[in-house]
Amino acid sequence: MLERGKISALQMAFMMNPTILATGLLLVPAITAKTAKQDLWLSPIWASFIGFMIVFVAYRLHKLYPKETMFEYSEQILGKIPGKMVGAIFVFYYFHVTGIIVREYGEFISGTFLHQTPMVVVFSTMIIVSAMAVYGGLEVIGRCSEMIVPVLLVLYLVIFVMLLKDLDTKNFFPMLENGLGPSLKGSVVLQSWFSEFILVSFFFPYLRDHDKGMKWGMISVFSVMFYMVLTNVMALLLFGKLTASLTYPVMVAARYISIAEFLAHLESIVIALWVAGTFIKITVFYYVLVLGIAQWLKLSDFRSIVLPIGFLLVLFGVWSAPNLQVLSHFLSTSAPFYLLSIQAGIPVILLIIAWIKKKRQQMKGKLIG
Amino acid sequence: MELLSRHLVENEAFLKSTFIDCPDVIFRSFLIGKETKALLIYTEGLANIEEIDKNVLSPLMQQETEGIPDIQAVLEQKLSVSKVKPVTDTKQTVQEISSGNPVMLIDQQLPGITIGLAKWEKRAIEEPMAESVVRGPREGFTETISVNISLLRRKIKCPNLKMKSLVVGRYSQTQIVYMYIEGIVDQHLLDEVHNRLNRIDIDGVLESGYIEEFIEDYPYSPFPQILNTERPDVAASGLLEGRVVILVDGTPIVLIAPISLYSLFQASEDYYQRFMIGTLIRWLRYILLLIALVLPSTYVAILTYHQEMLPTTLLLSIAKSREQIPFPALIEAVIMEITFEAIREAGIRLPKQVGSAVSIVGALVIGQAAVSSGLVSAPMVMVVAITGVTSFAIPRYNASTAIRMLRFPMMAAAGTLGLLGIMLGILAIIVHLNTIRSFGVPYLSPMAPMKGAEMKDVLIRAPWWSLKKRPRLTGYSNTNRQPEGQKPNPLKGTE
Repeated sequence: MLERGKISALQMAFMMNPTILATGLLLVPAITAKTAKQDLWLSPIWASFIGFMIVFVAYRLHKLYPKETMFEYSEQILGKIPGKMVGAIFVFYYFHVTGIIVREYGEFISGTFLHQTPMVVVFSTMIIVSAMAVYGGLEVIGRCSEMIVPVLLVLYLVIFVMLLKDLDTKNFFPMLENGLGPSLKGSVVLQSWFSEFILVSFFFPYLRDHDKGMKWGMISVFSVMFYMVLTNVMALLLFGKLTASLTYPVMVAARYISIAEFLAHLESIVIALWVAGTFIKITVFYYVLVLGIAQWLKLSDFRSIVLPIGFLLVLFGVWSAPNLQVLSHFLSTSAPFYLLSIQAGIPVILLIIAWIKKKRQQMKGKLIG
Repeated sequence: MELLSRHLVENEAFLKSTFIDCPDVIFRSFLIGKETKALLIYTEGLANIEEIDKNVLSPLMQQETEGIPDIQAVLEQKLSVSKVKPVTDTKQTVQEISSGNPVMLIDQQLPGITIGLAKWEKRAIEEPMAESVVRGPREGFTETISVNISLLRRKIKCPNLKMKSLVVGRYSQTQIVYMYIEGIVDQHLLDEVHNRLNRIDIDGVLESGYIEEFIEDYPYSPFPQILNTERPDVAASGLLEGRVVILVDGTPIVLIAPISLYSLFQASEDYYQRFMIGTLIRWLRYILLLIALVLPSTYVAILTYHQEMLPTTLLLSIAKSREQIPFPALIEAVIMEITFEAIREAGIRLPKQVGSAVSIVGALVIGQAAVSSGLVSAPMVMVVAITGVTSFAIPRYNASTAIRMLRFPMMAAAGTLGLLGIMLGILAIIVHLNTIRSFGVPYLSPMAPMKGAEMKDVLIRAPWWSLKKRPRLTGYSNTNRQPEGQKPNPLKGTE
């Protein structure tokens, strides 16, 4: 096996939280507000169904092929060449998506923070730190998230609490003005974030406590949904109809915080914390990409390709979009279909084929028996 | 391996040629009874001459009986010394003489006898210099390994306290002993310690630091992966938690392995004072650790990139004091930190009489002259001073050196990328700490991987009656420290 380390289901849950939330928290309120208006806080709830479904599908596939990741069992399910092709789709897909994530990170940092620093520097410093973690393997990533994520989740709640005095509950109304339609429409884009839960299928084989994988996977979907609802509620109650016109509502919200008139302008600290979450997100995608390529090419060790792929990721970050407007347009229009068809479509098809195959084998077994 | 000869003349010739130009090795020939030749070899200054005269030479030389005495008879009747050991081969003989034990050879008799009358000038047991406590035992290890072993044996008076000895150093022939408590220690750990110690091949071992560098897991890490201490109580508590203690002859510093990062921030006194203050002080140390690591870099980052984070009045007063300063904040910080490190280093190395001069010069140069001449700003002096004080609050010296080293790359990161740089630096440190292990134990356990029950010795210092379990990764062959239900209660025993 390429990866000798083992993680616990709890560590996996901690890893998945920032993996979905890090970029989600920044962009989700504005994107959902565009279509869902004041019902935007409902959208994550609808979108989370796809998350639950994907964790279920991934777990079923894992039960059928307990020791393998998708790169390996797709060959068993579909046969050698189609399986390799599915692997190829996932490899290129993860290259592209990780590039987009790196770009989102870079755009955000240069837009709010380091206006004059070249974006390549912003990308590559993060990729270097991520490469250290990927080089250490899954165990190191799991432990890092176990340390960092609980702190982030708690501090995020603290932000919410500190904003309580500025929140105006009247912004909730009129609730469901046009029925469920707008909030359902708003959830379409969110589904692409929740579909990223297919990453758990790459971690299931390395769980120390297999039987808890499903439970903790579901809990982390729920926790992601909870935090997204919280973010949307915060944005809605703070900005009302303005939410849709802001690029990063959470960052603007952080500016409202002031503690005892002394600690004001905490957005730099909020950004620093967000960077920690994004670090986990990039590392998880980076790791799955490296592991996937190593399994797809049947390499004996994945450590040798960590740095070359890191270099490529910097390039993909530069190449994935010309500017933030194009990126954001892509994310809110064609991306959901692109992400959903690969992250949800392919696993579902794989599971169906695997089930049919299994049924056939049982039939054959019965005929022979 | 060459064996000793039956003929005394041959042995004497061999030993004399081995110890040629070693005038401190004394050859004393004498007769047992009337005609049996015997030879006593010892090293001057390492052997107890009075005892040799009284209990070895005089009974043997005054022997009246005729004929060749049997070696067994000599041992049983004449030699009134408690510690004697036979030697058969030449290599061992030479080694015993070098390490101070007199060797007696008798003509036509084998084996030779080493007499345990080594004695040399040693330092008395004193209070440890580097780890002082308000409450707790005042004794510290010394340079003599036998004394150190006895100090530990006095703490743990149980036959399960085992030790294995080996000799490392082709020239120094240094004795190394590793101790453990059978029944608590993990067998794999013991094998690993044994293997790593036996792999060492070096010409001399002068301090346990040599051994530490040979047996640690990640040599390129700034963080120490083996604890060192000169307090017997710290070593004993390590033994009780299933760790291995390695003693090296010639140094009062003993090694304890495996450890986790948190062991470096625990002082022995945490466990002797009341647990509430122990907890608070532990938290204080974590905060001070963070300050020592990131305060100068945060100051640089805020002044260079994030002025808006400061309240206006504070920003104005800092800006006023920086008005005349020719350097950017990063250069200013680096200059001051280097000056501070220089003064600290000079303070350690200089003779005590000159030491006070350094602190006066340091205080004047840093505190007064630099500020009034407009080279550095007063807030920067404060930042450096606070950083210095906080780094002294870390109880383990080698942990604070790691923080001292990492402060400089952190400042560089802050000067180039602002708070983002600091965050990336912290993330890199976290990744590194999660990568390294100490003898297979993850360095950040029990925080990551998380062991909820053990957190009560990390996040807080739980009272002794609630510390029922040993740390699982070091002591999992015998996890129970003490039975349940020992919380004190005045009603106990009355019903």
